[in-house]
Amino acid sequence: MKKVQLKELAYARSGDKGDVCNVGVMAKTKNVYGFLVKALTPEKIKAYYKGMVKGGVEIYPLPNIDSLEIVLRQSLGGGATCTLRFDQTGKSMGPVLLGMFVEADEALIDEAAKASAAIEKGFGK
Amino acid sequence: MKQVNIGSGSAFWGDMLEPVVEMAERSDVKYIGFDHLAELTMALLNRMQLKNPEMGYIPDIVPWMKKLLPITAPKGIKMITNAGGANPLQAALEVKKVIKSMKLGPMRIGVVSGDDVLPSLDEIRGQGFKFTNMDTGEEDIDRIRGDIVAANAYTGADEIITELRNGADVIITGRVSDNALYVGPLMHEFGWEYTDEYVNQVAAAVTIGHIIECSACVTGGMSNMWKASERPWASGFPIAEVFENGDAIITKTPDSGGIVNTWTVKEHLLYEVLDPHNYLMPDGIGDFSTIKLNDVGPNRVKVSNLSGKKRPDTLKLCIGYRDGYIGEGMVLFPAPDALEKARFAEKWLRERFKILGVEFEELRIDYIGVNTLHGEAAEIEDKDYNEVGIRVAGKAGTRQEAETVRREATHLWTQGPIGSSFGTPMNVRPVIKLWPTLVPRELVRTESQLMEVK
Repeated sequence: MKKVQLKELAYARSGDKGDVCNVGVMAKTKNVYGFLVKALTPEKIKAYYKGMVKGGVEIYPLPNIDSLEIVLRQSLGGGATCTLRFDQTGKSMGPVLLGMFVEADEALIDEAAKASAAIEKGFGK
Repeated sequence: MKQVNIGSGSAFWGDMLEPVVEMAERSDVKYIGFDHLAELTMALLNRMQLKNPEMGYIPDIVPWMKKLLPITAPKGIKMITNAGGANPLQAALEVKKVIKSMKLGPMRIGVVSGDDVLPSLDEIRGQGFKFTNMDTGEEDIDRIRGDIVAANAYTGADEIITELRNGADVIITGRVSDNALYVGPLMHEFGWEYTDEYVNQVAAAVTIGHIIECSACVTGGMSNMWKASERPWASGFPIAEVFENGDAIITKTPDSGGIVNTWTVKEHLLYEVLDPHNYLMPDGIGDFSTIKLNDVGPNRVKVSNLSGKKRPDTLKLCIGYRDGYIGEGMVLFPAPDALEKARFAEKWLRERFKILGVEFEELRIDYIGVNTLHGEAAEIEDKDYNEVGIRVAGKAGTRQEAETVRREATHLWTQGPIGSSFGTPMNVRPVIKLWPTLVPRELVRTESQLMEVK
């Protein structure tokens, strides 16, 4: 087992609906999805964001696209039109989540790294 | 199998014009949808119309139509836009002038209105209906009634379909949901109806509309694929090739930049969604748990096996109300001791607000480059940063109080730590807060008319 940041295993994108921020987490492989479904819990997510998420956290698993929809209630300072946050619409909340550390099998981490290389083969050109 | 190609031409007021011009020129789309309205836009447009009854629509529609109509009219591409905002009829009259002056007629403009619930708010409450706040649970709008400036229902595709049947070439709507701009043409083309028989097809239209409605956000914009995108500065806007069984290929304008693959489609499928089993739109409910995504060629993703449920009996109603003012300030500090300077500035500001006796409803101070985005989750390292900024934002009941944030941040320039760098002060802005609620569908009386332009 090894500690890695979520960014090694998944992609994420976030947005807003009023005071609710949602984070789509996309596992880089099917095995990683199986791991994340168990590793990410509402309690862990809420604890990671510390005081940023004032309300509840829900996680919706979508095995058909190896992804999780994570809903963070009361997390945007009242919503885009009245928030004091610089990031009014929660676009940074997904990338911020990718900084979270999880403990995963080294084989799984290797698998994700290989998948990344294939997915991102245009990267850095 | 019958196929209909539909493109997305705009995701917000201020989106880029060239990609949709390229789409009209180079692709074989039959329809292009344009969303110009964000949650706050309606309040702004209402205010414009109050000042001048001939305003209240998105003014961009005039230059856009001048550029697009000469391409779309001869090709028979139909355009559906919610740029009508608070005044779709006036927007249609302006487009009529464009058609006449460019001698593009005869053409037909469909005008869809009736989303404005503000005039009938009290009448609806009189019937015993309560506008409960979906975010906070507050039971009704009594507390904010005097401050309400807008109440617009997110309406569905019903009237868009009516006007397409009437032969409209351009359809201009008010606060129709972004999604309906795409669902309307698909239901019209395939003869899908709001009945049990077509539940999955309409839900497919809702889901496909959701995938493409934010223009470049599914073609490499705002994406984890940002480095893999080709010529991202010339990204094409998305096109859905939709089949009558509800499957679709998601692609983009031929020979354009950007990227479409299963990852960009997943990103957008999950974007701004709460429960993915119940993606609630006025025309239907998408269930994303059955979808299959497959890369079927360069920049081509097949979307299949879509499903969902029938449209809800209520519509989302966005009530906007005045709720004070926000003042902001931003100052950057150089090394040495950049973070320490920012901390000093925070203390300095808090002391100033105490001396002035300003009471903010809320005050927020962030260190730029350290915790502005990571907030409480940031682990702050005590190192010698090249530079750190401070951003202060305060919300207050009056404009005068909010002004103190801006003024005191300005004073940091001459009284703060050495090297304080300032830029240009930001203006105080009035806050229109949203009260998201529901309204029974039958109480929103949408209507449409056809305008013939010779």
